Amino acid sequence: MSEKGEVDLTGAKQNTGVWLVKVPKYLSQQWAKASGRGEVGKLRIGKNQGKAEVEFTLNEDLTMIDSLGDKPSGVQAPRDHPFTMQTVGGQTLAVFTETQSGKEQISLEGLVVQRAECRPAVSENYMKLKRLQIEELSKPVRLSQQLEKAVTTNYKPVANHSYNLEYDRKKKEEGKRARVDKQQVLDMLFSAFEKHQYYNIKDLVDITKQPVSYLKEILRDIGIYNVKGTHKNTWELKPEYRHYQGGEEEEKETDD
Amino acid sequence: MASLGGSSSSSTEYIVRVPKNTSKKYSIMAFNSGDKVNCSSWTQARMERDMSNRRMYGVEETEEGAAGSEFGKKQREEARRKKFGIVTREFKVEDQPWILKVNGKAGKRFKGTKKGGITENASYYIFTQCPDGAFEAFPVNGWYNFVPQAKHRTLTAEEAEEEWGRRNKVVNHFSIMLQRRLREQERGPDDDDEEGEKGGKKKKKKGGRGGDLRIHDLEDDLELSSDESDSSGGEDGDSKPKKKEGDVKGKVKKKKKKKRGSDSEANEDSDDGDFEGLEVDYMSDESSSEEEVGEEKAKSNKEAVPKGIDEASESEEESEEEKQNEEEGKEEEEEEEGKKTPVQTKKKRDSSGESDTSEDSDIDGEAASALFMVKKRTPPKRGGGRGSGGSSRTGSRPGTPSIDSASTSNTLRAAASKLEQGKRQVVGGSSESPAAKRLKMESSSTAVTTQSPAPSGKSTPQPPSGKSTPSSSDVQLTEEAVRRYLIRKPMTTKDLLKKFQTKRTGLSSEQTVNVLAQILKRLNPERKNVNDKMHFYLTE
Repeated sequence: MSEKGEVDLTGAKQNTGVWLVKVPKYLSQQWAKASGRGEVGKLRIGKNQGKAEVEFTLNEDLTMIDSLGDKPSGVQAPRDHPFTMQTVGGQTLAVFTETQSGKEQISLEGLVVQRAECRPAVSENYMKLKRLQIEELSKPVRLSQQLEKAVTTNYKPVANHSYNLEYDRKKKEEGKRARVDKQQVLDMLFSAFEKHQYYNIKDLVDITKQPVSYLKEILRDIGIYNVKGTHKNTWELKPEYRHYQGGEEEEKETDD
Repeated sequence: MASLGGSSSSSTEYIVRVPKNTSKKYSIMAFNSGDKVNCSSWTQARMERDMSNRRMYGVEETEEGAAGSEFGKKQREEARRKKFGIVTREFKVEDQPWILKVNGKAGKRFKGTKKGGITENASYYIFTQCPDGAFEAFPVNGWYNFVPQAKHRTLTAEEAEEEWGRRNKVVNHFSIMLQRRLREQERGPDDDDEEGEKGGKKKKKKGGRGGDLRIHDLEDDLELSSDESDSSGGEDGDSKPKKKEGDVKGKVKKKKKKKRGSDSEANEDSDDGDFEGLEVDYMSDESSSEEEVGEEKAKSNKEAVPKGIDEASESEEESEEEKQNEEEGKEEEEEEEGKKTPVQTKKKRDSSGESDTSEDSDIDGEAASALFMVKKRTPPKRGGGRGSGGSSRTGSRPGTPSIDSASTSNTLRAAASKLEQGKRQVVGGSSESPAAKRLKMESSSTAVTTQSPAPSGKSTPQPPSGKSTPSSSDVQLTEEAVRRYLIRKPMTTKDLLKKFQTKRTGLSSEQTVNVLAQILKRLNPERKNVNDKMHFYLTE
């Protein structure tokens, strides 16, 4: 069991040679549809008068092209694909893999000894396929469409907006904020300041549910109003009430 | 697999499979062929994602929790960003670069950046052949270009800008990094600003070199010139000769010399012809001053020379010679030279040396190298010098000397004549001739004046012509004198030197040193350490 980050170098040591093949998009899509063991076709490697000839033949059952849209395309993928062999020179290409599941293991699979391009043999099928592709690509992403009737469903006049109604209801239910004991307010404030150092007055009002003027008075007692660097003006506790470093278990009460 | 028989072609068919449920994701690791990466030579490798970009994408978090946080800050920030339409790309681990470390800490490091867009229009598949002969094709998920990461030090942006501005002036590029290193050494942990560094560069450079080269009392310019030599660093033999010339030119005026040295450092490479005329002039003028001043400089330069010119093929030999001599070196010499520069020490060692060989070769080598430095008539001269050195090794002085002398004869003649006037050389045996030769060579090494090996070569004829031994003048640097001093009280070499001032003995300091070394060898005084200094004394 090797640790994370350790690269398994067996492939490099064995000098495993692999081919790097560039494959057209449609072909890789067809390959993705392969079933069973994943057989997609046959590769024929021949030596014709000294030159190596490589050709890939797609399996019959994988030649149906699905197209976007509803109608069946009726286009078949071409079957014959000669490979164009290229050299690797100029770059040293190595292949490494990562395993995804749980244990991440990077291993070097081997070196690329041959590069190739898979080209479709030019045929009627291929032309049709290409036309299909071009048609799909040439469709604009956005479309302007003229409507026959104006859209009247969006903004309707309303006697009173539902939001407004809710708001009024909330107001009535809550009523005006009542002043409670100063001590209680202080408790609330201290516990709030335990959580954060700086508070906006609006937030404090929200927390304490006190009228603003009353709250401000109390705050003036125990806190300071600073125009921090940030453009918001915030309230914070006075230094003597603060014990942020050591934890907040201190009682920050004052005697009135 | 079916084999088809064909007339002129044969082919085999293989089944191609695309496995469906593979849990492995394949990626390409691309190296540039220029990096000469051989994967099979890796013993072990580690690779992980480079997460250094994570903070860029993560929002800078203010403190969570009580201190320093605002209520609802996060939501506010998010709302703000949405309002302004700022869309931050999320940090995707799969797109991060890889860091590949090969062969552990001392091995290479690579950074692999993902190449975008490879799966957009075409798919890459990896075809591997299975044991059963069928091919399996795996789709490639990502392509990463791996580039080696430099382990050597590079200039920062500011430094690079600086150097760019000086690119037309600086000939020797290796000195750039050398200076930087010295600068860092001097600076240590604290960071000066660029100007300070720049200004102090020269100083520091000097300081750095000063550490290596001992400051000789009598030769301030030794230090100067050595600095200059150093500044030119190693590489450029051309600049070295130039510099040496500059140094030589400067003579007594150290500052001038220094400046000239730095100027010449900055100059373009000169062609051979540039210095022909100049050298002649210098030779005639400098013969005397050279002896005094040039010698040390030459020595120091030579010290730098071996370092710098190592690359140059020719000087390689010289340096080797010198080094050889070093190795042979005599402790005594070193002790005597205690405070002198290593070069001087070397020379002393060699010069006072018992063996002709080391001396001569050293002398010749040094002379030759010096000559090389100064003028560009390297091959013949040096060959001559070396040849003579070699021959002197055997004790005889045949052959090549003529070459040497011939080449330097004009300047040598001048110097020779000067020296002749000054000194009546007592040529005694081999030690003398080496000394003489040495002295002669030294003077010549300072470039301009090389004693023409008068008759045969560098050997005895030279001495008679008068350079080597100290002679005439008020105080003679003789064995007798030294003996007297040493009997009276223990002295260090420095003290002794003080006794035999160059002005009074008519010798250059180099010569003085050499001869003194010689004498001390002959006397073989006893030594004792007083205050950590090696004192010599005689008891008669």
